[in-house]
Amino acid sequence: MESVQVRRSFICCLASMILMLAGEGRGQPNAEIKVGGIFDLTGITSDVGKPFAQGVRDATQWVNEHGGINGKQIKLVEVDYGYKIPEAVAAYKRLVNDNKVIMINGWGTGDTEALKDSVNKDRVPYISASFSGHLTDPSKTPYNFFVAPSYSDQLRAWLSWVKQDWKQKGRNPKVAFFYGDNAYGKAPIEAGRQFCKENGIDLVDEEIVPGAFQDATSQLLNMKKKEADYAYINVTTTGVSTILRDAKKLGLNTKFGSNPYGFSEALAAVAREAAEGVTGVMPHVPFGENVPGMKNLVEFHNRQHPNEKGDALYVRGWSYVMVWSEALKRADKAKALTGEGVKAALETLQNFDLGGLTANITYTPSDHRPSTKTPIYMIQSGKLVKVAEFDMPRKQQWLGM
Amino acid sequence: MEFFLQLVINGVVIGSIYALVALGFVIIYKASSILNFAQGELLVLGAYICLAITSSGHVPLPAAFVLTLLFAATLGVALERVILRPLIGEPLISVIMVTLGLSSILRAIVQGVWGTDTKPFPAVFPSDPVMVGPVPISRGYLWSVGCVAVLLLVFTSFFRHARAGIAMRATAFSQQVALSMGISVRRIFALSWSIAAVVSAIGGILLGSIRGGVDGSLAFIGLKVVPVAILGGLDSVQGAIVGGVVIGVLENLSGGYLDPILGGGVKEIAPFVALVLILMVKPYGLFGKVHIERV
Amino acid sequence: MRCGDFRTTYGADMAIFETSFARGCVGAFLLLLAIVPVFATTYWLDVVNRIAIAVIGAVGLNILTGFTGQISLGNAAFLAVGAYSTAAFSSRWNLPCLLVIPMSGLIAALIGMAFGIPSLRLKGLYLAMATLAAHFIVEFTAVHWEAVTGGVNGMSVPAARLFSLAFESDRSLFYLILPVAVLLVFFAKNLFRTKVGKAFIAIRDQDISAEVMGVNVFKHKLMSFAVSSFYVGVAGSLLAYQARIISPENFPLTVGIDYLGMIIIGGMGSILGSILGAIFITLLPELLRLLSGAAGGVFPGLVQLFASIKMGVFGLAIVLFLIFEPDGLAARWRTIKNYWKLYPFSY
Repeated sequence: MESVQVRRSFICCLASMILMLAGEGRGQPNAEIKVGGIFDLTGITSDVGKPFAQGVRDATQWVNEHGGINGKQIKLVEVDYGYKIPEAVAAYKRLVNDNKVIMINGWGTGDTEALKDSVNKDRVPYISASFSGHLTDPSKTPYNFFVAPSYSDQLRAWLSWVKQDWKQKGRNPKVAFFYGDNAYGKAPIEAGRQFCKENGIDLVDEEIVPGAFQDATSQLLNMKKKEADYAYINVTTTGVSTILRDAKKLGLNTKFGSNPYGFSEALAAVAREAAEGVTGVMPHVPFGENVPGMKNLVEFHNRQHPNEKGDALYVRGWSYVMVWSEALKRADKAKALTGEGVKAALETLQNFDLGGLTANITYTPSDHRPSTKTPIYMIQSGKLVKVAEFDMPRKQQWLGM
Repeated sequence: MEFFLQLVINGVVIGSIYALVALGFVIIYKASSILNFAQGELLVLGAYICLAITSSGHVPLPAAFVLTLLFAATLGVALERVILRPLIGEPLISVIMVTLGLSSILRAIVQGVWGTDTKPFPAVFPSDPVMVGPVPISRGYLWSVGCVAVLLLVFTSFFRHARAGIAMRATAFSQQVALSMGISVRRIFALSWSIAAVVSAIGGILLGSIRGGVDGSLAFIGLKVVPVAILGGLDSVQGAIVGGVVIGVLENLSGGYLDPILGGGVKEIAPFVALVLILMVKPYGLFGKVHIERV
Repeated sequence: MRCGDFRTTYGADMAIFETSFARGCVGAFLLLLAIVPVFATTYWLDVVNRIAIAVIGAVGLNILTGFTGQISLGNAAFLAVGAYSTAAFSSRWNLPCLLVIPMSGLIAALIGMAFGIPSLRLKGLYLAMATLAAHFIVEFTAVHWEAVTGGVNGMSVPAARLFSLAFESDRSLFYLILPVAVLLVFFAKNLFRTKVGKAFIAIRDQDISAEVMGVNVFKHKLMSFAVSSFYVGVAGSLLAYQARIISPENFPLTVGIDYLGMIIIGGMGSILGSILGAIFITLLPELLRLLSGAAGGVFPGLVQLFASIKMGVFGLAIVLFLIFEPDGLAARWRTIKNYWKLYPFSY
């Protein structure tokens, strides 16, 4: 009996080792360009992480089917890190040192910030889905990129909309911020505070909400005391929905706005009536929007996933690939398919047109703000409707914050 | 004053959801001395099952509700049989760990089947709130208060008068004595797990409709309710309910009054600080049975 | 009992190594470890470093939970205390790492003792809850005490420095982490040959009897909390040196739970078990990631599914272990050893 068990555990060990080696040792042909993907498919942000990863995956395949990178195929080596920073660091080390990827498409704010020194040292362009303004200053984070206006510019744009929407002449509009106690939640807050101060907006209240919650009444009551006219919610979709529903329950007149990870097709579906009239920044257009770049995307999506509905997160993932695949093509033409080469190629992108999926993208060696145009959308009878667009100036003192 | 009243009343109704989930903890603990850390995932599973039944077929909501509860009951029995029974008599920490392992298995199953995106939950209740004095309350919470009141009555009389309830208490007192009295301890364990799964499924459906959508993050409530169960005393039904209300009110008051002073986030840790302080005075919770050791 | 296994002195009975062969084996193993950086890739070195750090933390937790019987769910908090102390000491005063590491451990020990005070009155699950509270309180402090911790943006940690040496790469860090781990493991092994260690075990087995025998229960419980948190703090300190940037998001509750998993899968109340458990829990996600990555490469449409499965398998491994091998890997190791001892004449 005992010996059978012993043997069994040995066989198990052997089997797993063989499998592991088999996974490691598969040879790769030379005409492949390896790109790393660090996504959240199972963690607390997987509700938005999954469609984003799907978009990246599909767009990579689409590029491969349409000529690849000057004939070379892209191989996306992806890792699910479950929104845990230590796992992201481990995944990064494996992708860079063992898989020898040339660049990485990343995800969250916390892990991107944790990796910024490493990507700089290893010279690996790290294009993440975190739009944190901290990542836009090439003198500090030369290898970090993203494809959208920064969180800070988005908040500034939303505050500009507030100014435009505010018709009462007697006093300044009063604004409140809701955010989570984490790197993503706090990323644009300092920029928002300054913008309010400089532009005649009274920031009357800041409320902190936890990562997952089912009730925000006490925070909303505190905000009600301060009589905020507008409030910006910087958490993800379910959190935004909870706040909106509680606000509706309390009968507040405050007009709410939200960020690109809280405001998408899903918010209208989840918060229902409470979402009516809510505004949000949408750096990437909703799925199916009538823009030239949408045709390929919708066709491919409907071919690959006929039973699923796409959303703005999918569009976001797709537009990421459009940007970095272009950079890879340019780097390849310049015979510089290295991390440095791809960085240099990204920095040659001038007004790069994504067919309207997002604003045109420009990176320069001294400024990594991809674009400054932020469209504002509003939920009107369950649909996302564009109501305004604001272009923030590329002020030098705003670089990196 | 109105501010205070709003905070307190809101705390009470939120507390009722905590109490509901804490009941699941208590029932399992009462019968088998297991603290089930997978309670939150059971709740998520319940919500998803209900969602799947309503959205796939043409099943009316009440029928879907009953079907969900039946499913939860079966699941509870199955979990007890497959995973928990082999661990009877193992040290406390092994049992804690196995329920933690169970929670990640359940999470994987939910993700594998339903994906990770937030799924809109059918509108179970009308969205306009009910006014309690000057305080508006969502209907979902009102239902949860009702559920808790009913369950309190049901469980109190169950443990006092029903054969199975008395058998459960006997089992909790001493498994050996219960066995020698002809009580099937296994059946009692299975019963307690299915009751706990049913209670969590009710919680899941209520929470799903309150939030308007279901996703994996709903499971956070499982961890959140642990201090509730401990505060009330792990083996007391009344304790769970009092604990739920106390924590709900405490959270809201600290959120309302301390958050602005201390810069936010106090609401989250207030229950834990209170828990430690109260445990220092009453080491077995407010209503828990004091365990007297004789050597 | 095998032949020839008899001892004539207490010294022999208490020896860490029963035979000089065992001593030789451990020595050879350490030598082998020392040359790992020569042939391991950076990624696997990183894994080995994380295993060594996990070993320190797991031994620490085992001292508290496995040997003294006090359940702690707040391990991530003590890791965070160690890591933040390291960040503060080394970035503010630029101290050498040989000073910073023990100092971080001591600070964690102090905090650990403070959170151990409830153990005077609390037992079992109720104590576990008090340590859970410790976790949330430390997390809250890390987020809000911005002057010291840098808030949600965290702090960057300069490379560990010893005189003119700087431990920058995973390769050089290995030679910092491994000796610390070996030293602490031997300290722990020795601890349980002393009066204090035996008092810990007595408290675990029956605290009231221990008191009757003259063990000061509260003092020893606090000592156990202190020693355990010291270990975890040192692990946190090394983690900080390895990660180079730390933020509150580095220390979620799940980290503490992983450590509990380590000592349960490895074996409660066993130093060897802590080591095996740390190896197992650190390697399992890596292997699963390799497998799910390979599987995802073969079936690209199912990447999402494999990611979910990966998470489930982790839970499944823990459940299966607890059901089929409740005494942990250490017990399994003994079984295997005994099998080969008698090979090929097993009965």
